[in-house]
Amino acid sequence: MHESSEQSIFLEALDLESAEARAGYLDKACAGNAKLRASVEKLLGAHVLPENPLDHPVAILAPDSTQDLSETLQLNRPIVEGPGTLIGPYRLMEQIGEGGFGLVFVAEQQRPVRRKVALKVIKPGMDSRDVIARFEAERQALAMMDHPNIARAFDAGTTATGRPYFVMELVRGVPITEFCDQHELSLRQRLEIFTTVCRAVQHAHQKGVVHRDIKPSNVLVTLHDETPVPKIIDFGVAKAIGQSLTDKTIYTRFTAMIGTPLYMSPEQAEMSGLDIDTRSDIYSLGVLLYELLTGSTPFEREQFNSVGLDEVRRIIREVDPPKPSTRLTTVAAALSTRSATRVRNPQQLSSAVRGDLDWIVMKALEKDRGRRYASASELADDVRRFLAEQPIEARPPSQLYQLSKFARRNKAALVTVSLIAAAMILGTAVSLWQASVAFGERNDKDAALQKALRLQQEADAAREEIAQFATTMKEANVLVTSGRAHVDGQRWAAAYADFTEAIKRQPNYYNAWTERASLEVKLGLWDLAARDFSQAIELGVPEDNPANWAIPQLFLLTGDTDTYREYCTALLQQAEQRGERPSMSLIRSCVLASDPVGDPEQLAEQAVEFLAEMDDEHAQESQRPPRFAPWDRSGPPVGGPLERTDGRPPQFRDPGRPRDGGPPRPDEFRRMRIPRGVILYTTAIAMYRAERYDEAVASLKEALTDDRWRNMQPVYPALAMAYHRLGDADQAREAFERSQQEIDALTQSMEQGPVGSMPIPWFDWIECQLLHREASILLTGFAPADDPRLREIQQRGRRQIEAGDASF
Amino acid sequence: MDDDVTQILQAIDDGDPQAASRLLPLVYDELRRLAARKMSQESPGHTLQPTALVHEAFLRLIGNEVADQAAEQWDSRGHFFAAAAEAMRRILIENARRRKSVKRGGNLAKNELQDGDALLDPDDQDTLLALDEALTRLAALDDDLARLVQLRYFTGLTIDQTAKVLNVSPRTAKRNWAYARAWLRREMEDTE
Repeated sequence: MHESSEQSIFLEALDLESAEARAGYLDKACAGNAKLRASVEKLLGAHVLPENPLDHPVAILAPDSTQDLSETLQLNRPIVEGPGTLIGPYRLMEQIGEGGFGLVFVAEQQRPVRRKVALKVIKPGMDSRDVIARFEAERQALAMMDHPNIARAFDAGTTATGRPYFVMELVRGVPITEFCDQHELSLRQRLEIFTTVCRAVQHAHQKGVVHRDIKPSNVLVTLHDETPVPKIIDFGVAKAIGQSLTDKTIYTRFTAMIGTPLYMSPEQAEMSGLDIDTRSDIYSLGVLLYELLTGSTPFEREQFNSVGLDEVRRIIREVDPPKPSTRLTTVAAALSTRSATRVRNPQQLSSAVRGDLDWIVMKALEKDRGRRYASASELADDVRRFLAEQPIEARPPSQLYQLSKFARRNKAALVTVSLIAAAMILGTAVSLWQASVAFGERNDKDAALQKALRLQQEADAAREEIAQFATTMKEANVLVTSGRAHVDGQRWAAAYADFTEAIKRQPNYYNAWTERASLEVKLGLWDLAARDFSQAIELGVPEDNPANWAIPQLFLLTGDTDTYREYCTALLQQAEQRGERPSMSLIRSCVLASDPVGDPEQLAEQAVEFLAEMDDEHAQESQRPPRFAPWDRSGPPVGGPLERTDGRPPQFRDPGRPRDGGPPRPDEFRRMRIPRGVILYTTAIAMYRAERYDEAVASLKEALTDDRWRNMQPVYPALAMAYHRLGDADQAREAFERSQQEIDALTQSMEQGPVGSMPIPWFDWIECQLLHREASILLTGFAPADDPRLREIQQRGRRQIEAGDASF
Repeated sequence: MDDDVTQILQAIDDGDPQAASRLLPLVYDELRRLAARKMSQESPGHTLQPTALVHEAFLRLIGNEVADQAAEQWDSRGHFFAAAAEAMRRILIENARRRKSVKRGGNLAKNELQDGDALLDPDDQDTLLALDEALTRLAALDDDLARLVQLRYFTGLTIDQTAKVLNVSPRTAKRNWAYARAWLRREMEDTE
């Protein structure tokens, strides 16, 4: 054995102290085998390399690296002080909230008056005396605030465990954004509540109190006799907590305490600390208004989530967020279910917001606070003027300023113009608006469209550019068509080059992305395919296109479980909103993960229903000749799947394209009959996830009897798991071994066949691997070893497209 | 299905091949729970030692009296540690993958940043993932070596303890460790 001799030579050499002795020994031990010699020498080199991560057992650092781990583990932070605890004259009752700074409880005050209050216990990490001292310093000012829309601050102190706490008027409301969504408030109603909030902030400012932490969870709304009443809580708290945190020495602590930066003004992000005034609150009000209008904050959570603290601070200080109307036009395309519920009709809303409201929000959000509204009441006044349809004070930036901005966005504008032109030239029935929604530039699209239309009317010069860009669009189309032809002819490099060029010429054309992804899938380049598909999804590729089936499984295979979950969840919710049952392919996607999306019990029932309907239909149509789906190879079955892969690999026709020349229309697909085995298999996986193992086994066994379905390889690992759960070790092992054989056979067929030959549809192959891996872990405790042949197959595929890269 | 860890350990000792796979999920769940609770209690900058976690999980799952008896019986305890090492590895790798996909961003990956969340500089999980891959390759080559590394790295056992768990002499464990350690390092350097 090569490796074991490598091991013994290495250990032997290690025992020899001098370099000469080692060299001499190696000369002898590896005589004539230069490769072995090199690998042992590499080992000896690795042995003495410093900083071997293996020298220290893995350690888990709290809380930095565990922040995410605790999310992974899906557990909340502990309640430190709990119901029943007595803090000063207050007895804690139930916990009503948890924020960045601490826990909020309902507490009963015993003396001097008996009443219920809100008591906020601050999390550890600050000097209690400082916090209390600052609160005391501002207490006078806080006491002077008397406004129906501001929660009163009563008291502050230190708990027995040394944590600062604040006592405030108890407000039983929901965050303003949630309230507006829950009650589906109209634009006007939202703006009216917002002006009330502004007036309250103005009142506090007049008493010399700056809030410093205005955000939806600090603006609670309750219903009083059917009238929504907003109340701002936590006045005085942020300031009391905040100031000590500007010291560099507790920088790390700051990062742990800062909470959300989404509502933070540029000067707060600066962290100079001394320089916060009422205008920071104006900025935060601007963010709040932005969110009320669009359903998202100017900078999105995930944008901040994916970068470090310094980058977040830079973004807040330097980057201009998109205007609310621009954001709204992209909401429609986005998969964000959160925004979708918040904004019921983004496009309609977008046109209402465009113009005046855009300028009001953007003025509040100015980076330079000198350019913001001077007071909260000025902001409220402008919103009022808008509601009264009077001219507002906020103005769009000057012509010069606009011109320079337009120059920056020129590229986007021209792309849009080209889309318009292309739409006209191609004579489609698609309206310009739809064209822009479908292909549009995500952020600047709307602004660009407006500019572009104006340009078109005003300047003849633009026409040339239109024509030129229409050409690009046409070229991209031609390239995609040509790429498809190359795919059909199995000229992978040429196809890849065509798709890549099409993407380069027209990056917003999702067809180019999906076509390239489909090609990558054929070549087994899962990571690349997942990347391209997610790009296409972002550009708004329709979800119900059969060519997009099983994309979630692809994300699962590449380890991107977040995207997998996100996409499946969005599709499930879409189906629910339309009042439709999820499609079989969606059910299949949802239950494929060991931690399935949705309720497996329900999905299993839906699959069973589908099966029953199908059987009914079949009984009625049995006289008519069946219509075969593409995965049904015509002709009678020849043996089982295992035998079939022997000899020459059968040609696989992509299910996304049953006819030559483009994907099938959805209705064509609906008519094609999914093999009963596939339905049974999907149902069985759902049953398995719902822990109905007996039924899972029964369905899987029945699936194996469907001779119309040939790609039943994924059934075996599923069967192995189900048997295992039932405690039938022998059957489980047998099925698992069969699964291993099937995978071997498929691998061998791919390895021996030409590049891009996959004996079964790619999604079946992916599911084989996913389920086999899961089964292996379940049965043996270990993931299956990497198969070097698969790596080789991938590399072959990669070389193909690299050849394509070099060709242009 | 038998859910009692003591009985499962007994069954493993009695040679039941299926028993080991029943052990893993139990240990895995317990470690997850324990890690989550521990982390939430620790102050910033504190490190959690997997060794401590695993020992505590053992005590909790086995129960105190039995644990006292079993304390020196590395035979049955060994199976437990093997499962714990595997469970730790999975938990940490899941976490690392998740974090990586968060960092990779993608507009689809909508990770809720809660109001209560701290903002943190993302630390590097690549080493862990690279090690995991290398370890998988090592397992394909020599399962025992991979098990050894897993025990040492993910549960923090000493060489001597590892030797007992794997039922080999300390000298063998030490030499195997030297080889596996260098092998993995070479593998990780090569892939970079």
